[in-house]
Amino acid sequence: MPKKHRVFYLLLLLSAAGLFLLDIFIGSVHIPFQEVVRVLVGGQSQKETWDIIILQSRLPQSLAAVLCGAALSVSGLKMQTLFKNPLAGPYILGISSGGALGVALFIMGAGALGFSMGDLSLNSSLGIALSSILGSVSILSLLIVVIRRLNDIMTVLILGVMIGSVITALIGLIQFFSYEADLKTFVMWTMGDLSAVTGNQLLILFPVVVFGLIASFMLSKPLNSYLLGETYATSIGVNINRSRMLIIIITSILTGSVTAFCGPIGFIGIVIPHMARFLAKTYDHRILIPLSILLGMNVLLLADILSQLPQLNFNLPINSITSLIGIPVIIWIIFKNKRMASIN
Amino acid sequence: MKTDLEIANLSIGYPNKTIASSINISTNSGQLIALIGRNGDGKSTLLKTLAGVHPPLSGDFRFRGQPVLTISSSERAKLLSIVTTYKMMLEHVCVRDFIAFGRYPYTNWLGVTSEQDDSLVEQAIELCGIASFSDRHYEELSDGEKQRVHIARAIAQQGELILLDEPTTHLDLINKIELLKLLKSLVQDHGKTVIFSTHMVEHALRIADEVWMIREGVVHHASPSELVKDELFRETFSSNAVQFDPASGSFRMI
Repeated sequence: MPKKHRVFYLLLLLSAAGLFLLDIFIGSVHIPFQEVVRVLVGGQSQKETWDIIILQSRLPQSLAAVLCGAALSVSGLKMQTLFKNPLAGPYILGISSGGALGVALFIMGAGALGFSMGDLSLNSSLGIALSSILGSVSILSLLIVVIRRLNDIMTVLILGVMIGSVITALIGLIQFFSYEADLKTFVMWTMGDLSAVTGNQLLILFPVVVFGLIASFMLSKPLNSYLLGETYATSIGVNINRSRMLIIIITSILTGSVTAFCGPIGFIGIVIPHMARFLAKTYDHRILIPLSILLGMNVLLLADILSQLPQLNFNLPINSITSLIGIPVIIWIIFKNKRMASIN
Repeated sequence: MKTDLEIANLSIGYPNKTIASSINISTNSGQLIALIGRNGDGKSTLLKTLAGVHPPLSGDFRFRGQPVLTISSSERAKLLSIVTTYKMMLEHVCVRDFIAFGRYPYTNWLGVTSEQDDSLVEQAIELCGIASFSDRHYEELSDGEKQRVHIARAIAQQGELILLDEPTTHLDLINKIELLKLLKSLVQDHGKTVIFSTHMVEHALRIADEVWMIREGVVHHASPSELVKDELFRETFSSNAVQFDPASGSFRMI
């Protein structure tokens, strides 16, 4: 591995550790930094409420930022390579839209059946998670059937966008007929919320994301070959159908699980892979995947910190922060691609 | 010489359109084979079908006894390689790394190249005469340079059969001739079997050991000297504007 890449990894690891501590330190209740560290290393702080705030609220939120950032970044990288499209992201296949439909049906459907989501607070997060995963898996199953019939990745991409549009329309209809309180709960979920993640949810999210990231790294070799196009990839020995299916399944697991617990968080999946390529100046997924993991952690931790600065008496929606970071980068990608097209 | 390329009752095309059918050819090893025909006659489809990257409608193709169309893609990649006209948009890929893609079927699960892989990449670079730009990035190369890099990648793959779709496209005359000489050398000095499609019919007739000509869904095959005597050849490549002169072996404008 070139020295330049080792330096990037080290710096990003140190910066992620720093941002992680800062993210736990910052919040509406001021807790001295040494007390935060004491609790994190297993000790007890001066006040019991501080222990509760750190261990039950801030630590899960920061860990969720780390896991979401890593998962969404790697998912985006794989989608961009698979579709040879610089603007592809984890949501492009409509899988997260499927998750959103599941959640919309759960939240607003419960309202229609006479339950208010406020009454279901204990079970609601689990219900949201399960309905999101079920929705994602349904769309994924549909896509797998389509991929088996149509051996054309662009058709699948277009179909994914169409599925997303149809689901948005369905969600719009459900929203129209739903109660105001349920509508608010659903809209809050769509804004993305890392603070909603509990310690128990992390026990599921952590192994699933770690598995997805390791599996993604193990797909580095076929992912590299996809850069040549499917014809060449086949000609150098890649089993296209199998590797494409694996890439889509693992991406769905990563995106679906993260979306279920944290809501749909945009732009990270599109932006981070470009930052990784820009920094490392390489095509190699063996370098880009670890770099995207580290960059994703850093950026989402930073977004989480910005969303809850001490001067603010409330938390900003994380999606607004990631959009503000992401949109300038997307504009840069569009201009860069236009320049490349004119050179070629 | 032994027969090492056998095509039996092969039909090529798409589910709703047959491009050529009942293709039956047996050829000895170590041949340079030119594939000629008019635009849209199916040269690229035939090459892609033989390479296993496009499904056949029916039939069989065996190379050195191996059923090319039914073996795994990994086994097939060790047997043959293809160079197409597909334009790639690659960023941050240096020429040496691109050629190393040819070692894909031989590397471990993570794609780490061994010393032997690196040495074979260097040999391919030497053979194709591209050492002067082997450290440059792929996207910085001219179309002609890219063509040679693609051929080096195919050589690094170590397949005994190399298929090339219009490899002389984008090249100036000198580079075209040098490339055809390179293909000839791959056959004569390295024992490869090479099939290349081309619109440079005159050059193909001079350099190839055997010519396959596609016309109206039928693949005709013969030695260049036999083919030019065939009325079908003259019909295929003659028009009101141009005619083939068998005596000089060249085309002349009318």
